[in-house]
Amino acid sequence: MRASAAASITLFLCAAAVAAGVRAAPAAAQDDGQWPMPAKDYASTRYSKLTAITPQNAPGLHPVWTFSTGVLGGHEGQPLVVGDTMYVVTPWPNVLYAFDLTKEGYPLRWKYRPEVSANAIGVSCCDTVNRGAFYVDGKIIYNLLDGHTVAVDAKSGTQLWKTQVADVSGGETVTMAPLVVKERVLVGASGGEFGIYGWVKALDLKSGAIVWTARNIGPDADMLAKPGDFKAPYDSGADLGTHSWAEDTWRTGGAPVWGWMSYDPELDLVYYGTGNASPYNAEQRLGDNKWTASVLARRPADGSLVWAYQFTPHDNWDYDAAGAMVLADLQIGGKPIKALVHFDKNGFAYTLDRATGRLLLAQPFANVTWAKSIDLATGRPVLDPSKQTGASRGSVKGICPSLEGGVSPSSPPAYSPRTHLFYSSTNNLCMDYASARASHLRGTPFMGINSPYSAGPGGNLGTFMAWDAATGKKVWENKETYPNWSGALVTAGDVAFYGTLDGWFKSVDARTGKVLSKFKVGSGVVGNPITYRGPDGKQYVAVYAGIGGDWLLLSGDVRSDDPTDVRAPADYIKDIAGHTSQGGIIWIFGL
Amino acid sequence: MSTSNRRYAGVQVRVVPAAVLACLLLAACDHRDPEPAAQGAAAPPAVAYEAHVAAGGVAPPGGTLSNPHQGDKAVAAAGANLFTAMNCDGCHGPEGSGAVGPNLGDGRWRYGGADAEVFSSIYYGRPKGMPAFGGAMGADGVWTLVTYLRSLAPPDNLPTESFESAAK
Repeated sequence: MRASAAASITLFLCAAAVAAGVRAAPAAAQDDGQWPMPAKDYASTRYSKLTAITPQNAPGLHPVWTFSTGVLGGHEGQPLVVGDTMYVVTPWPNVLYAFDLTKEGYPLRWKYRPEVSANAIGVSCCDTVNRGAFYVDGKIIYNLLDGHTVAVDAKSGTQLWKTQVADVSGGETVTMAPLVVKERVLVGASGGEFGIYGWVKALDLKSGAIVWTARNIGPDADMLAKPGDFKAPYDSGADLGTHSWAEDTWRTGGAPVWGWMSYDPELDLVYYGTGNASPYNAEQRLGDNKWTASVLARRPADGSLVWAYQFTPHDNWDYDAAGAMVLADLQIGGKPIKALVHFDKNGFAYTLDRATGRLLLAQPFANVTWAKSIDLATGRPVLDPSKQTGASRGSVKGICPSLEGGVSPSSPPAYSPRTHLFYSSTNNLCMDYASARASHLRGTPFMGINSPYSAGPGGNLGTFMAWDAATGKKVWENKETYPNWSGALVTAGDVAFYGTLDGWFKSVDARTGKVLSKFKVGSGVVGNPITYRGPDGKQYVAVYAGIGGDWLLLSGDVRSDDPTDVRAPADYIKDIAGHTSQGGIIWIFGL
Repeated sequence: MSTSNRRYAGVQVRVVPAAVLACLLLAACDHRDPEPAAQGAAAPPAVAYEAHVAAGGVAPPGGTLSNPHQGDKAVAAAGANLFTAMNCDGCHGPEGSGAVGPNLGDGRWRYGGADAEVFSSIYYGRPKGMPAFGGAMGADGVWTLVTYLRSLAPPDNLPTESFESAAK
């Protein structure tokens, strides 16, 4: 198949942000210049209609402002811009800064320093990250690592409510970016490395009270899978979330929610991906392990499950599906399709019908050895039996992608309705996977794994690529020396933006990938660039520098903050510390 | 530390390491209460930290704990198994090389590297996320881990990392 006609994207403007009166409501065809939610819009496109920055003038992009956050953890996530204020959430201790963009030097209007338990640091598998805040109804809403959700008054910085949603003592932390739909604040917990019983909760926007809790695994009653409402496109029967697990292994089966959520207001469905099954030793949880490594579609009002599709049944490789679900209206085979596009850790890019969860396309975007293909009739991967893992199999060699993913779920893609292309970072790593029997000890890791990494074919450890989700084909890619961990941004000026792990921030031509500008931002980039129109009417691009996010990946020798913690370089990424070290810095670029 | 931190003082340890491991795993899996530790009648308030700066140059009175397995290679080997079985490697990496938790094989210690200090870190836990394992493992399990960790040999020339040689 080939993409024939123009694909179009439905942009779901954040009505609440506009209604707050911080800036006049935009005409439909114009961008309001703000960035009010993690991915800019409910469809998670990370696409801005701003056009001032173009391939012609982008070589003139230069830094106009920087600010140290004072925090060293991995700076994933992205700032928000609402009206004339920029909001920034740091990794633990989760400080919230509000910058006045109308004044020279962008001084702080206020900062909010919540009390956040340091105990949460030890229950975080992969650094103390935070993936960002959500603006709605005059409130900034975000999650604290120690399992709380807070709402802060966007004008004054005053805390409006604070609700405990997760239990650190049971291995739960909260790193994901919340999504607010109507009166519901949707949050989920990390903890796939701690054997949690994964969930999503909805809080009341006004009071912070928990309205509903939906498990991602377990019995239908816990999953809010109601007869008649729930229809899985490739499965049938009751209690799939328990029957697809040996004995009661679902009780400690993981399925965390640590990435991103999307919402389609026409279908009234919220979409999110679940993480890996626990423990990593798959022989301790025989069966498909539904609905780990899956995408779930729910009604925001009451949480009821509408459909679910599992990308990686019986996850043998820590292939979380926590990455973004991008909602785009595509032309596939000449037909308009309300699609959901997802780049999975398992190396396949999936295009689904977002009304039903049926699979339309699945093609590898990275080097894949664990499966030969995805069967479109059954929705299931065609496995390579020699890449199945488990404690009885010893060290299984040559599995690609590595458990860092063909792309990290931390690195969300962007979609341009002008080029009809998706833009994404990728990792080019393979692994050997040696499972061991894991013992479940509450509050400690539940893993059982040793998985040394190696470079994939070509030797470059990452790329930034453009992908056609209507045909399942890569259009161009820029090879990068290191695994690429930044999110993507694309604009109506046809310029895409990303950062590299060794600390280069780049703008590229969205149609060709040609590098238009690059600047060394002081630390590796694992954050996601945004763009906005400043109070002066000019277009700016902002991004965090601040390497971190997974100390199994990132070679511990990039750390210099603790004289009692000195680590050797990782052998597959030996010289990264020769190019970067930790440190959170906000950068703003302009023309 | 408060004076309630006395439970481990004076614990008598006479258990074969392999049997210890089996008992510990059983206890952990069954969520049973750990073996109650003996309480010394005249127990000191806490471990004395040798490297701490003493205000006025006067060190406070502190307890002394000695590792019953110090230097025992068989116990160290059992401790290596325990390091995996109790999920220590999930945070500190394979062989304690460092992940979300610090490297334990670099010969450097955030909270002191004397046997008693390492014991205290594991038994009671530490701020910034080190869980307290004393309840799940009991004193002898902790000493077994201490013996293993103290057996790890730090690399040569730890402070210096040259990138010029790495690139060639």
